[in-house]
Amino acid sequence: MNSTAAGPGYIGMVSSIGAEDVLTLYEGAKFYSPAVGDANKASLTSWLTGLLDRNGPVALRRADALPVDTPCISLCVLGSGAALADLPPAGDEFALAVQRIERLQQLTFGAIYPLAAATVSALAPVAAASQLGLPLLDADGMGRTFALIHHTAMHLAGVSPTPLVAYGATGESVLIDAQSASRGTRLLGATVDPLGGWAALAAYPTTAGVLRRAALPGTVSRLVNVGRLLLERTDPDLLVARLAAITGCHRVGRGRIVEFEQLSRPTDRTIPAHPSSLVIEESGERGRQFRIELRSEIVAVFADGLLVAGVPDVLCLLDVSRGEVATLDSLEVGDLVDVLVTPADGLWYSAEGLAMVGLASHGINLDHPRRR
Amino acid sequence: MSRQPGDSAYAGVTLRPGRCVAAVIRDATVLPLPRVSRAATRPAGAEEVLGAIAGAAYGYIQAVTIDLSRLLLEAVLHPAGAGQVAVIRIVPRAARDPRLARSPAKLVERLVGRRFTVAGGHDLLGNELCPLDTAGLARVCAHLQRAGVRGVAIVAPGSQAQPEHERAVADAVQAALPDAHISAATDFGGQGLVAREATVILDCALGAIAGRLLNVWEDAIRRSGSDAALRVARGDGGYITPSRARALPALTLGATDALELCGAAYLHGAQECRVVLPRPGGNVSGDVRNGLAVVRPAELAGIGTALVVPTAVLAPDPGVSQNGERRWVRDVPVVHADGDPDLLACVGAAVSQPTAWIDEVAFIESAEHLERIRREAEERVSAIVMANGAAPGTAYLTEASIVAVPYSPAGTVRIRVRVAGAAEGGLGRAASAHSPQAAEPVAP
Repeated sequence: MNSTAAGPGYIGMVSSIGAEDVLTLYEGAKFYSPAVGDANKASLTSWLTGLLDRNGPVALRRADALPVDTPCISLCVLGSGAALADLPPAGDEFALAVQRIERLQQLTFGAIYPLAAATVSALAPVAAASQLGLPLLDADGMGRTFALIHHTAMHLAGVSPTPLVAYGATGESVLIDAQSASRGTRLLGATVDPLGGWAALAAYPTTAGVLRRAALPGTVSRLVNVGRLLLERTDPDLLVARLAAITGCHRVGRGRIVEFEQLSRPTDRTIPAHPSSLVIEESGERGRQFRIELRSEIVAVFADGLLVAGVPDVLCLLDVSRGEVATLDSLEVGDLVDVLVTPADGLWYSAEGLAMVGLASHGINLDHPRRR
Repeated sequence: MSRQPGDSAYAGVTLRPGRCVAAVIRDATVLPLPRVSRAATRPAGAEEVLGAIAGAAYGYIQAVTIDLSRLLLEAVLHPAGAGQVAVIRIVPRAARDPRLARSPAKLVERLVGRRFTVAGGHDLLGNELCPLDTAGLARVCAHLQRAGVRGVAIVAPGSQAQPEHERAVADAVQAALPDAHISAATDFGGQGLVAREATVILDCALGAIAGRLLNVWEDAIRRSGSDAALRVARGDGGYITPSRARALPALTLGATDALELCGAAYLHGAQECRVVLPRPGGNVSGDVRNGLAVVRPAELAGIGTALVVPTAVLAPDPGVSQNGERRWVRDVPVVHADGDPDLLACVGAAVSQPTAWIDEVAFIESAEHLERIRREAEERVSAIVMANGAAPGTAYLTEASIVAVPYSPAGTVRIRVRVAGAAEGGLGRAASAHSPQAAEPVAP
């Protein structure tokens, strides 16, 4: 691998994404957010592969490789992956969302970037960049996924998410121009369900110059590199070791899922998905009991009652029997899984980062293990 | 040896292109039968197999379970005529990209002759997104009538929760084409419009051949004078009645893999194990829990897209490390299925149980509500397993998973429930598979 490694999270930079990269991109994106199952994988990857076959590869550029005044817009899938699988895109939603903001701001965007380079939200910006003939920035706002659209590096840098457009598979769209990011999030929350449970979101219009300091760099390239490892379907022990070398992840433990619990903590309805938990009995001599707290993503891991990992760490489960990342909506009692913990971007462990997306935002008022 | 009161014998039959393999399990002894090279898709072949089964069972046989899945897969891989199925996709608006307008699986799309979009559909929880375009539907029906279409597959978003639009379309199509085979996605449930669409396309395309095969075997049993029940293996390694297989032939797809897992586990006396199966491209392995194959609604090998009928989860087997230690899975026994895979599938079919599965999305508001939703789901799937051939009172829960649906409104859950049972008058393997510690009875 031609790597320009600069520590965990930085691996070989990729200069373009072509049709042959789509499956690796998909798998890598699942590692950084295992929220969405594979029910629509074949259709989405076929769509993107077709676009890249027809239009050629999408150029992947660092923000500092573009003129500072290049207008840029972020894209993501807003809402539920299950809803997206049940109501697939017509295919033009993301490009139309971008064009609606272009008309409003009377400009033409020169680059697309992912709002969250993970799960299906990593694929949609590539599709739109291909359709619009634009480069894709090798940067994003989260480096994983968080529950709310203002949980971004751009927001912490003072960039407004609005004006934003949510474009639904129904052909309907909503333009939001709010007074604050949190108001924008709230207004948007009321929009998703009537659009079918998901929408193409275009937000955070800004410039490449701003994104040089306000976005997380290299977060698209690493998906391709992580995806390559995952597609090798090797021995999970070896896979974890290889993943550790390029992502900094480590395995907390391996065990079988023995129980699910719904509504396991008080529900704050401003965040999608209710709190739930799962219990894993560790295999082998240590025999610890892991309790995994969920809220759209895995938010905390306890081992015999002791907090061992939590958001903003990137937490995922590796299905040991199948050698692939287990998606959260397809877990079953009896599954043998590895609990993996990967450090998120350093920004999220800052005081302001933790205040926004840390354990306390999920009602778990404990110090993060990395700050003890 | 003469038959004693209480003796029971069960047969499993796997049908392959141009050949047929069968085995009888009598008094817990597996009796492999000679391969029949005559195609058991024709009366003479079926009669020859039944004759051999009767001989091994000393004239008495409780049930014959046939695995049609390889023949049906062959019919998909090499269809007699392409483009037999018309697809009606009910969505708020038609796909703008050609790749999104069709199935990502070329094999599946080859079965499609015409595609139509009718405006309509619901969200995951059954809320209407768009009124059904009845004028557009009338135009589609007129077109289908003119074209003399024989098979129509219908799919709509949200039809698992609210089948109203799919049913309205199916009613209109049936009125226009009274002899057409109609497959509607609501009959399968499951997640993902594309997976549900692929399932109903296959179901529709396989209706005629499945019906012909079942006619051959039902007639052969009738002519043999046997009172053996005919059962059909389903994708999860359980069985369904011939009438269910006629109505929903896609349920039988992929059965062989699950039957091989169950057959190997049975031969090793294991209820919980990992089974290593030899394959031309290298060993694969799958799990057996409570005597049943671990299954998922996933991509069926060779199809190219996910389906919503659950099939065995097989993964490349890692083998052993240099020190001889088993890799990956060490907490359950590992069974190496090094015998004839066709025979394993026959054994799996012979010892199979009636099973049923649902995979739904629901909305819960409290722990009490969750409990009620769970109980209702179990009761529904218990009713389905009885329709699949289980005797009343024999249904028991084998798996139940309720998980929150990420990035959906708080309270949205995915519910998967799997239930097994036993047949009237003969327990097959159910008695041994069903231990009170491992499985929980479900109210009939």
